[in-house]
Amino acid sequence: MSDRTQTPEGGTPIVGDDPVYLQDPIQDATVRMLLELAAQVWVERERRLTLEALLESKGIVAHDEIERHVSDAVLTSRLKDERARFLEDVFKELRRVPLNHKFV
Amino acid sequence: MSTTPETLPPLARRSDAAYLDFVEGLREFILGKGADFEERLNSALEQSASSRGRPWGDVEEIREFVHASPLGRLRDRLARSQQEMKWHAIERSFDEQRAQLTAELSKWDERGPGRLLLDPAFEHPTYTNVHFHLQPAGYYKDELSGFLYHYGTKVFFRGDNDKDELHAKLVGTVPAPSDGKVNRILDLACSIGQSSTAFHRRYPEAEVWGIDHSAPMLRVAHRRAAMQGDAVNFAQRLVERTGFPDAHFDVTFAFILFHELPLRIIHETVREAARVTRRGGIFAIYDFTGTEGKSPYQRYHRWFDARHNGEPYSQDFCDCHLGDILVANGFEVAAAPLAKRAGGTGYMQHWFATRV
Repeated sequence: MSDRTQTPEGGTPIVGDDPVYLQDPIQDATVRMLLELAAQVWVERERRLTLEALLESKGIVAHDEIERHVSDAVLTSRLKDERARFLEDVFKELRRVPLNHKFV
Repeated sequence: MSTTPETLPPLARRSDAAYLDFVEGLREFILGKGADFEERLNSALEQSASSRGRPWGDVEEIREFVHASPLGRLRDRLARSQQEMKWHAIERSFDEQRAQLTAELSKWDERGPGRLLLDPAFEHPTYTNVHFHLQPAGYYKDELSGFLYHYGTKVFFRGDNDKDELHAKLVGTVPAPSDGKVNRILDLACSIGQSSTAFHRRYPEAEVWGIDHSAPMLRVAHRRAAMQGDAVNFAQRLVERTGFPDAHFDVTFAFILFHELPLRIIHETVREAARVTRRGGIFAIYDFTGTEGKSPYQRYHRWFDARHNGEPYSQDFCDCHLGDILVANGFEVAAAPLAKRAGGTGYMQHWFATRV
């Protein structure tokens, strides 16, 4: 865990951690999750496109074989672990929603 | 094809690189024409001022207007989030490789051609303990801070500096002293040494020194230079107290340093630069433009950057009239061109100051 203390000398006061920009923290968390989701979609798309291109270029797997494939137990287990990582990445923002907030 | 070795270590996973590629694109979209926040908000601000029949007063007035707008609030949310996403991904990816990366740094510490001088008794002044640009732990508290900074600035520059092109271009614009003599060059707050190596390539016979307060930055700078075969020396020093002799350098350089110094240190650093730069030598600075001539949106952006993006000293710097400080400390200052954008002056400018 990195050292989070800061000791600026004068200047503009730095806003604290987790500032709220929108009408309430729920909206902020929603936007953050949306951005994270978009990033994760791109990550997957980039990998998939790269993989499919490689496989087809080597004559190993044709596109429609991928469309029809069913996972075995090993892949199913690995996908479950990856799904947990994915959910953590996208929805960790929920832990930052405060208990109390003064709505304006 | 470039023969420059890749000095930026790979991220832990392909997915990390793809994620940061997304953030780089998102940053471009938010700050550029994609979301078009700057033009739309500035137009609204200008129209409001026109309707009221008076220009905007202090930045607090502008802030209230922007924050009354859903567009303004969303812009702020997205601007902050793209930084947070970037750092979270970079920190996690390099942390996974911590053992390998620290070993990699140690491997290069003793190699030439340049020297790396670290001070084991170095004490950081409290003003340096700021997490600039929201970089986790700031510039010096994590032994991997230099690598984090390198990848963070890669994303910051949105692909325009992947091969240090920006640094090479800026160094290329620095005028030589009128007598043409360039034997020694000082790069103040060199961070990972991109300007330092650019100076070495421009003046291969000159002795180049890059100084910084951060040992993690200097170790990365040294590794970069050594991998590239660039004979640059790096030393752990404060910019306001460099430890070099009087009139020692022909060219002194400061790239985006001053807006990260409190006012007191700005004055001390200019005094120090005047001391170590010889008569006729050049002190070249590249940093934020001043407050004058700024559009209302640009003034708001400066405030947001200071408060929400870990740049607490930047507003005071923009208000300080650096040119006058340079003149008061024995420099003649050449005016520098400013690029226009969004109804006001550009965000960056040069000062080319000759020591008289």
